[in-house]
Amino acid sequence: MPQIRKKKTPEAEIPTSSMADIAFLLLLFFLVATTIDVDTGIGLTLPEFVPPEEQIQAEISKDRLATLLINENGDILLSDEVVTLAQIGEKLKVRIRSKIDLPNNKKLIVSVKTDSKTNYNLYIQALDQVKESYFEVREEYSFQKYGRKVINLDEEQSIDVKERIPIIISIAEPEVVK
Amino acid sequence: MKFEKKLAKTKQQIPTASLPDIVFMLLLFFMVTTTLREHDVKVQYRLPEARAIEKIENKRVVSYIWVGRDGRMQIDDNIVTVDQVQRIMYNKRVDLPTIIVSLRIDKTSKMGLVTDIQQELRKAYCLRINYSSIKKM
Repeated sequence: MPQIRKKKTPEAEIPTSSMADIAFLLLLFFLVATTIDVDTGIGLTLPEFVPPEEQIQAEISKDRLATLLINENGDILLSDEVVTLAQIGEKLKVRIRSKIDLPNNKKLIVSVKTDSKTNYNLYIQALDQVKESYFEVREEYSFQKYGRKVINLDEEQSIDVKERIPIIISIAEPEVVK
Repeated sequence: MKFEKKLAKTKQQIPTASLPDIVFMLLLFFMVTTTLREHDVKVQYRLPEARAIEKIENKRVVSYIWVGRDGRMQIDDNIVTVDQVQRIMYNKRVDLPTIIVSLRIDKTSKMGLVTDIQQELRKAYCLRINYSSIKKM
């Protein structure tokens, strides 16, 4: 009588040794095809475009306005006074500080105007100085009033700081070349 | 006297069964934290440096305009001229009203070009812009 042998069961496992390799391949693909870098820069909101015929000249008192002119040679004029790049911050900070307690329609406006041949880098440096002085004054104010840094303020306090020291930067309307 | 080699009783292998799980975890991390590279930048540029810079948290609302050191301008994957900017950007703004335009302009550029681009952006109602720059150390 032939012996009845039990059938050998085939192995019921999926080989997983290559799974890691496949996953690594996918990982590498994503590492190559994606970017992590966050865009950083100086933010600005442009005014709406108004055709030249409809533009209205609004009178702004000299006390409120800080004009920043940069010409093609790299000379900087801040409220009719020749300054260097590094001086912009100090001069502006004094004026921003003096306007903290004034009502909203009396806050400082910084108007930036450049020549068409002004170097872009210089413009960014000047704008950076302006922004930085605003941030520093905000920091000082927040420390004096709330005793902490701006990033640690709660929502209400940070709104107050932003209202007291609003960043108003105006990019001058380009002039029509005749 | 006979010397016998002592063999360790423990297994000599590193268990690799959990390796795929670890790698998948890494993979998922990268998939979540990154965004796909969307553009092939054709112009050469070096960004200016600044200190008072902010981060744009939401990358999906950002649209880029590149300006190279030779003055060529690129939007999406095309080289464009200044007079095309308004139409392109207006269409983009219709699709995405909260759009932020990030200007990646070479630092040796002239302000004339930058002002022209800004005027076009204003006409296209893309009013939120960002001068892309690197953190100064």
